[in-house]
Amino acid sequence: MTERAGYLPGFPAEEVEWRGLRFGRAGEPLEIAVPALTDAQMKELAARVRDAARRHLKTLSVARIADIIDRAIARLLDRGDPYRQKAESLLPVITGYDAEMVRLGLTGYLKTFRKPELNKFLAEDFANPRILDEFQPLAKGGVARAHGPDVLAHIWAGNVPGLPLWSLICGLLVKAGNIGKVPSAEPLFAGLFAQLLAEIEPSIADCFAIVWWKGGDTARETALLREADVVLAYGGNDALAAIRGRVPVTTRYLAYGHKISFGMISRATLDIRKAPSIAHQAAYDVVRYDQQGCYSPHVFFVERGGKVSPREFRGYFAHELACFEQKYPRRALTIGESSDVAAWRHQQELTAFSHPDHEITGGEAGAWTVAYVEDEEDLAPSALNRTVKIVAIDSLADVAPQIAPYKAFLQTVGIAAPPEELYRLAEILGQAGVTRISALGRMTAPEAGWHHDGRFNLADLVTLTEIEHSAEAFADSFAPYVD
Amino acid sequence: MDFHDKVVLVTGASRGIGAAIAKAFAAEGAAVAVNYLRNTEAAATVADECRNVGGEALAFQADVTDGTAITALVDQVLEAFGKIDILVNNAFRPYTFDPEHRKMFWELEWTDYRTQIDGALISTHGLCKAVMPVMRKRSGGAIINIATDLVARPTIPYHDYTTAKAALIGFSRNLAMELGPLGIRVNCVAPGIVYPTDATRGTTEEVKESITANTPLKRIAKPEDVAGPVLFLASDWSSFMTGQTLYVDGGLVMK
Repeated sequence: MTERAGYLPGFPAEEVEWRGLRFGRAGEPLEIAVPALTDAQMKELAARVRDAARRHLKTLSVARIADIIDRAIARLLDRGDPYRQKAESLLPVITGYDAEMVRLGLTGYLKTFRKPELNKFLAEDFANPRILDEFQPLAKGGVARAHGPDVLAHIWAGNVPGLPLWSLICGLLVKAGNIGKVPSAEPLFAGLFAQLLAEIEPSIADCFAIVWWKGGDTARETALLREADVVLAYGGNDALAAIRGRVPVTTRYLAYGHKISFGMISRATLDIRKAPSIAHQAAYDVVRYDQQGCYSPHVFFVERGGKVSPREFRGYFAHELACFEQKYPRRALTIGESSDVAAWRHQQELTAFSHPDHEITGGEAGAWTVAYVEDEEDLAPSALNRTVKIVAIDSLADVAPQIAPYKAFLQTVGIAAPPEELYRLAEILGQAGVTRISALGRMTAPEAGWHHDGRFNLADLVTLTEIEHSAEAFADSFAPYVD
Repeated sequence: MDFHDKVVLVTGASRGIGAAIAKAFAAEGAAVAVNYLRNTEAAATVADECRNVGGEALAFQADVTDGTAITALVDQVLEAFGKIDILVNNAFRPYTFDPEHRKMFWELEWTDYRTQIDGALISTHGLCKAVMPVMRKRSGGAIINIATDLVARPTIPYHDYTTAKAALIGFSRNLAMELGPLGIRVNCVAPGIVYPTDATRGTTEEVKESITANTPLKRIAKPEDVAGPVLFLASDWSSFMTGQTLYVDGGLVMK
């Protein structure tokens, strides 16, 4: 079957060139037709989005925009809704992830964009969110109004279902015209969301567009970059650096690069009753989207000295991965991914030859692998797809040297520890470059308003216009009512 | 386990646990009669899958709560395969497992109980009786009835359903007593919640997580998990077991 992706307001489908992307490695073949615009079409699209955003989106209050988003999200949360059903049936085929995992993941993720949650996004970045609607008083004196860009370009990456919604919704909240480029790995969901928004609120139907080009097609990319006021890009550092080179120097460029995340388990939590459930939570973070997220853990540092030793913990953890393999089987890997996993495993086995304390445990057909390491070892990325290292460590407080080489890449740390230790570790981790600390089991589900990579979701997008106090006072002197 | 030359009749085998049991027997070489009530297409698919994994299989439509239909079903199976060595009573009357909206005791009428008791026992009684002549003639056979672990631990008190399954276990023990001297063994398999099946598709993640947390093997059963113990009780590996109930719920119930 063929399904059309993207969203191009004002462009009849027959005037656009469509390319087919094939999915469904493990089962039924599925073709997703994605739009390949010409330079001229991209330019025309940007003009249309810019114009519509100015005329429609920017005239709505931020509360009203949040209402519209909330209504779209409510539709996507309703399992009887045709948009939801399409997402539930096609996303597992496109991404290869287990259908149940996608279904539950979608619900959990979409919940973070209900109206009360959107208000959290707004409250996180603006002391008074009405600053997006009209001039508001500032603490220093004077007043200010925040303006979103006319055209915000998003260049998305990866295959975690729904991820583009995060920045797209942020763009809408600051009243930007949005043009998003979907990745070839998951080209569907952003377009579905755009269609649904347009259906719910036709007046803003031209204020956003979802496009595609083949990764590396710099001509098309440049066509969009030239039109954008702000560019938001996700991906590896090489890709981000290449984009940076093409973004005009006057355009604001916000890059979100690859990250590495890990878990820490305190000896204080490792008693006989709690250890198995901590292992369950830790394994869940690994299994969710097969470690493809920036927040997915690669390594767990487990502290020695608890009732349950790190080696014993490894046993509980491995069993949980085996159970999850039954519940949410790993997706079918590409040849490249399989060889990455095999190479990583081989490397761990080689190391284990010279370190009799090390142990490699794996599921059938290599569906998951746990490498257990007794020596204190640096944090290093695993091969993803359920490959994890458990590192025994004398004290979690000593982790700084292990993570120091990855300072620029650190993101989320899932921690199981009592309150005082949590804060003590957070201090060390923050200095080391970590930007998010979550519970184990919640690493892959950031809460609404999370400061992605320590940055401001909305504030980074806007430009403030300030009326200084002097201007107000000056104006007063010219008022018709002046005495 | 080798089930070559064995004929197995599985009721309610077009989907869920029944389909998994049918396929598991077929994979060990058995000839499987795939009984179903409505879904002709699904039953045909199960029969195809059975053949693909190396067994023989045919789909047979029959409402196993109807005495005449039972007789016709057994006749058709005998005509197709010549004998019945193993009977798996898996079919049950549709029941909605909904922990949030189940009926509480004071909301249940006797008719609710009767519906479930009939659902669990009329078909089992009818089929056991109908296969008697052929099993007695061969001086052997195995009957496996599918119960539930709720009988031992009503995690959620589905009164009518669980009472009916408890009756089924009582029925099976009596039958085991009666048929033991004839070389026919009768046992039960009592699964915990099995996911996904049509009956449990609506079960919330919260309920599944809470059962998982209390289960020593830390997950809930898949349809395939139930098949192993059924095959064991059908095989000579269990030739000295009768009147037993095997709990297949990851250790949630231990007895």
